[in-house]
Amino acid sequence: MLAILKAEDVSLVYESGLIFKKRHEALKGISLQLQPGKTVGLMGPSGSGKTTLGKILAGIERPTSGRIFFAGRELGTMNKSETTAFRKAVQMVFQDPEGSLNPKKSIEQSIAEVLAMLKIPSGRWKDVTGRMLEKVGLSEELLCRYPGQISGGQCQRVALGRVLLLQPQVIILDEPTSALDISVQAQILNLLKELQRDLGLAYLLISHQSNVIRFMAQETIVLEGGMISEQSSTYSHSSPGNKPQNIA
Amino acid sequence: MSAILADAAPILQIEDLSVSFDTAAGQVKAAENVSFVLHRGETLALVGETGCGKSVVASSIMQLLPGNAHIQGRAVYAGRDLLGLDEREMSRIRGSEIAIVFQNPSLALNPIIRVGDQVAEMLRVRKGAAAVEAMQKARDMLSGLGLQGEKKMRMYPFQFSGGMNQRVMIAASMILSPRIIIADEPSKGLDGALAKEVMAEMARIKNQSGASLLLITHDLNLARDISDRMAVMYCGEIVEIGRSEEIFNKPLHPYTAALLDCLPERGFQPIPGSSPSMINPPSGCKFLPRCPKGSERCNRMPGMATVEGMSTAFGSSESIGREVRCWLY
Repeated sequence: MLAILKAEDVSLVYESGLIFKKRHEALKGISLQLQPGKTVGLMGPSGSGKTTLGKILAGIERPTSGRIFFAGRELGTMNKSETTAFRKAVQMVFQDPEGSLNPKKSIEQSIAEVLAMLKIPSGRWKDVTGRMLEKVGLSEELLCRYPGQISGGQCQRVALGRVLLLQPQVIILDEPTSALDISVQAQILNLLKELQRDLGLAYLLISHQSNVIRFMAQETIVLEGGMISEQSSTYSHSSPGNKPQNIA
Repeated sequence: MSAILADAAPILQIEDLSVSFDTAAGQVKAAENVSFVLHRGETLALVGETGCGKSVVASSIMQLLPGNAHIQGRAVYAGRDLLGLDEREMSRIRGSEIAIVFQNPSLALNPIIRVGDQVAEMLRVRKGAAAVEAMQKARDMLSGLGLQGEKKMRMYPFQFSGGMNQRVMIAASMILSPRIIIADEPSKGLDGALAKEVMAEMARIKNQSGASLLLITHDLNLARDISDRMAVMYCGEIVEIGRSEEIFNKPLHPYTAALLDCLPERGFQPIPGSSPSMINPPSGCKFLPRCPKGSERCNRMPGMATVEGMSTAFGSSESIGREVRCWLY
């Protein structure tokens, strides 16, 4: 199957100092592919560049060298409408669920913001919101509340629901359950799997928990010091067509 | 896990503790009829999901709840009810006899005092120790927890990571050799390997001084690894209490079983639905809306039942059965 999002030899270097420049290589020669309906797990110790790589793939940060392709087109060479399509299609869900939502806006306002941006007529908002809440397993009672008044698991579901409104093809999940209880973690992971099955989403799952990766991913990449130190298919869940690719 | 002691006399008895808070939305029942016994030298884990009332129980024992809290029940320590003590008597007990390690160390430490001084201060204020001696003890304590060197002693909390601050908190609360340590999510913010190391060090210091540990955590594996007994809380109530190993191997309450099934090694099986409102909780069993084994009788509130044939004795002198709040038993 064709990759929907692909990174080719991506590197990122941070420089500091005016005259005596200090170079810090955050990422070195990373190549990976995300396919529809599949999950790639990204592991590694803190500071190994996992989140930075996620941000580069989501187009939030730019690599120093290397190329990112979305549906066969290279980022940076796209025209305006293609860039808009990329921005909608590739979404990121962050670790801290409460931090992803504006604390001064009710859940309804936070959702309405996305709907307005998508230019959905306000007459349809109630209907669209209702269907979205159903998809992520939330009740409409929640709409009038503020992020501080709902639980972490509910916040993460709202954040995920907002992302789904954009009908993405790829979701970068940056430690989506590490701030949650085990019971809520189980709920969110199963929900993510269900959504992937129904909508054919491609996931890049960043996590430091190997059992979460094993449960979710068909392929695992381990980053160490900004480089891929290990790349393998994850047993038990991998299909025969999904052979490990040694890109590193 | 600490060795089972022959002398297993109770050191802290919580009897029918209920805590509620007045809020704009109504009265939040954070804890209801919580009863348990902590024995000498024992590690008891209070486990449950976020918001089930674990920390409220700990804070009420230490009289650290805000003014809008209504507390009922008794917390008997050394023959006295802690809930009835005045602030002067309570402050004498806090730290030197019962110490608490909070879950947010960066907020619990003073940001503008060096960490070495903060640990040593406990000895100087409470025990009247000389400055040099107090600093030496603080240095020993911190290096035992993996913070070696004079340079670390002279650093400030904001220069430390969350995990390092947590270790400073543990050192400060254990340096006075309290008889009871209440640790509220002590492993939060520490990554896997470090959490294990810090907990092992904590258990070592605890065993050395013969103190009892009330461990509050949502990490079930941590609770199993270091506790003798475990009390499972759901929606402000204890639903099951017994030996940790036995609860893990054979959970009796449907909620305990469902919670254990969420563990990665048991395949992340989620519990359907979500926790009920603490303002208007279900009138009968609080787990009924999510329970696979619920029936008509569960609309009435079940009491705590002791299950025969499942001895969960702590120590040899006393036998305590497994207790479950469910109509099935």
